[in-house]
Amino acid sequence: MASEAEKKQEEEEYGSVATPGGALAGPPAVRIEGLWKRFGEQTAVHGIDLTLPAGHFIGLVGPNGAGKTTTLSMVTGLLRPDSGLVEIGGHDVWQDPVGVKSRIGVLPEGLRLFERLSGRELLAYIGRLRGLAGAEVDKRAGQLLDVLDLSGSQHKLVVDYSTGMRKKIGLAAALLHNPEILFLDEPFEGVDPVSAQTIRGVLERYTSSGATVIFSSHVMELVESLCDWVAVMAAGKIRAQGPLAEVRGAAPSLQDAFLELVGARGRGAGQNLDWLGGGAR
Amino acid sequence: MSTEATAPAALVPVFVRLKLTLLRNGLRQSTGRTAAYVLSAVVGLLFTAAIALGLVALRGNPHAGTLAVTLTGILTLGWAVMPLFFPTGDETLDPTRLVMLPLRPRPLIRALLVTSLVGLGPLTTLVLATGAVIAVADGPAAAVVGVLAVALVVLVCVALARAVATASVRLLTSRRGRDLAVLGGLFVAFGAQGVNIAARQLGSPDGLSVLEPLGEVLRWVPPASALGAVDDAGHGAYGRAAAGLALAVVALALLLWWWQRTLTALMTSPDSSTLQAVEKDSARRSGGAERGLARLLPGGRTGTVMLRTLRYAWRDPKSKMSWAMALGLGLLLPVVYAAQGNGSIYTSFSASALLGLQMYNQFGQDTSAFWMVASTIATPRDAFVELRARALTLMLVAVPYVTLVVVGAAAFIGPWSSFLEVYGLSLGLLGALVATGAMASALSPYSIPSDGNKNVAPGQAGIAWISLFGGFLTAAALTSPLLALTIGLHVAGLSGLLWVLLPAGAVYGLGVATLGLRLAAPRVAARLPEILAAVSKG
Repeated sequence: MASEAEKKQEEEEYGSVATPGGALAGPPAVRIEGLWKRFGEQTAVHGIDLTLPAGHFIGLVGPNGAGKTTTLSMVTGLLRPDSGLVEIGGHDVWQDPVGVKSRIGVLPEGLRLFERLSGRELLAYIGRLRGLAGAEVDKRAGQLLDVLDLSGSQHKLVVDYSTGMRKKIGLAAALLHNPEILFLDEPFEGVDPVSAQTIRGVLERYTSSGATVIFSSHVMELVESLCDWVAVMAAGKIRAQGPLAEVRGAAPSLQDAFLELVGARGRGAGQNLDWLGGGAR
Repeated sequence: MSTEATAPAALVPVFVRLKLTLLRNGLRQSTGRTAAYVLSAVVGLLFTAAIALGLVALRGNPHAGTLAVTLTGILTLGWAVMPLFFPTGDETLDPTRLVMLPLRPRPLIRALLVTSLVGLGPLTTLVLATGAVIAVADGPAAAVVGVLAVALVVLVCVALARAVATASVRLLTSRRGRDLAVLGGLFVAFGAQGVNIAARQLGSPDGLSVLEPLGEVLRWVPPASALGAVDDAGHGAYGRAAAGLALAVVALALLLWWWQRTLTALMTSPDSSTLQAVEKDSARRSGGAERGLARLLPGGRTGTVMLRTLRYAWRDPKSKMSWAMALGLGLLLPVVYAAQGNGSIYTSFSASALLGLQMYNQFGQDTSAFWMVASTIATPRDAFVELRARALTLMLVAVPYVTLVVVGAAAFIGPWSSFLEVYGLSLGLLGALVATGAMASALSPYSIPSDGNKNVAPGQAGIAWISLFGGFLTAAALTSPLLALTIGLHVAGLSGLLWVLLPAGAVYGLGVATLGLRLAAPRVAARLPEILAAVSKG
């Protein structure tokens, strides 16, 4: 979909000039150049270039194993890349951690929390670790617990939380220091519809004030309904990036556009399972 | 009705075959596993046979009856607690897997009971019970009662274990239960020391007479009452013998009834994983006490990290286990040595050595939650504060504890004249271990799996051992100036100046610990992704 020329053009458009979405001039939220990561034989991230504009709700979509988690881990400083450049808000992640770590909030996938703390204790812990004043942490924690509908379980250990509650307390921990950019890895995975709606509400409120959310997902409908900017990833490479409408193009939905991009069109719908379903058992 | 009558006959062989298949398939998974199983089976059976032969050899000894009864009691206790601490170690069929099958409780219980009789555990029990009966059986009447007694002992033990396991499935599948299971290793470690000391007592001349009062009580507690019955039958006390046997039979019937009841309840109600989410907010006592504790701790990152570490020492089963091991063994070693007559005030070094080792692999204790720490460390200064806070938490416990153990050793083992030098050296060693522990935490972190009894993730045992041994040797080298000073003072006959070792040890320990933390901090800050990757395995 996005040829090299188009990509160049997008980079120019969203790189450091004002975005059409309205808000900000200044450095992009994230700039990635030539990012590589190999695990033994397998190349998880295949030299990607990506520029994500600030002030947007951005979706990083791709099938399982596309390299989304690896990319997000390297961007947030949790995994060291083999090579490549990552800048957040103009600060190099590996050269200038002080400039980066206080500006970002992270909700990783597949990593634990300090689960033997209660929800409220966890927030009190991470807030103080971030250097916020105790009273301020407690005030913000109380409000976040309220908004995320966790007040009733705030004294329960996180280890006893359900998946949805864990995602919500993780989100609260990531938001506590009011970061400029929020990275969420599969924030809706395994989350019940009620919790998902709560998370959406909080994220929409957060981005409407000009902050950036970057989240990964393989659920296209979700990305389509939430994001105004998407990057499509498959097999360790970026297949397309740009405003949602542009990436979707003429396709009826992001799902269709995505299937075309990753070349999975027309697969499936097997003729071999003709016995399955009604009729003769 | 008719199905219920025919079912048991069909069910028992099916279950026994299923269990044998499961056993065989479990062994087929790897040759190492097969070898370990065969080896432990052979060693276990040889050991059991030796005990049984020992019992037979005691035939005619006036204390044989008491010993047989006591042994049966211990055996029963073992069967009762085993499922609590090793819920996965029992290879018997798990009834909750059978929930979806249309089985009636009574035939199911019968089939499960018979299946439970297949295995090494019941075989061991059979051998031991037979040995105990031969030790006490005297005459044909006693022999007849003896056969019954062996069967009853084995049946009661197996039924007890299954009933306890079934009754506690709810507990064991809950988070609390898994936490308890992790602490099972602790139970074994300290239990072994208890047995060690008890065996020493019994081994002394006329030691067996200590058991007499215990035996008097136990002989009326089923299934040991069946062993008592054999003894009585040999002496012609047929009334007492009948009562003993009857007690065991009643106990078996009650156990089977209890087992059936809990099994029915278990298989007809939803499992705990779905109930947990609905559970009300368990008002954690984070009110008065902890707020008071939090107020005593320093502010900023230091106090925050200390509070979290202290909470983990209590709430996280792995942390709790490692603290309990260090505190327990640190105290136990001097006691055991003293009990063996090898007591020396120098054995109290165990306290500072074991507690100092707690500083090792700090980040492995965090598991993959270390990302929360990593994402808030931007400078070597942050890393230093983080490490220092963890060291301070350790000191908060270790310094008073080491003081207590050294004072105790001086008071009970003596001599007081060595107190100051041992105390000073202990503090120096503690500081050296904190220093090397901080370095090892930065350079060779490894994962601690949160479930089960393993303390190292597969494939990382080498790293763990190298860091522990290397660290310990380095710590010993770091303490050598203090040791040299001690030896020098002794050799030069300046025992009046030995008090110098206390302030010297304290200052040296503090200095070397601070130096270690300072050296480790930039390495932690530079290696955050590598540490996270190392502690996230398993």
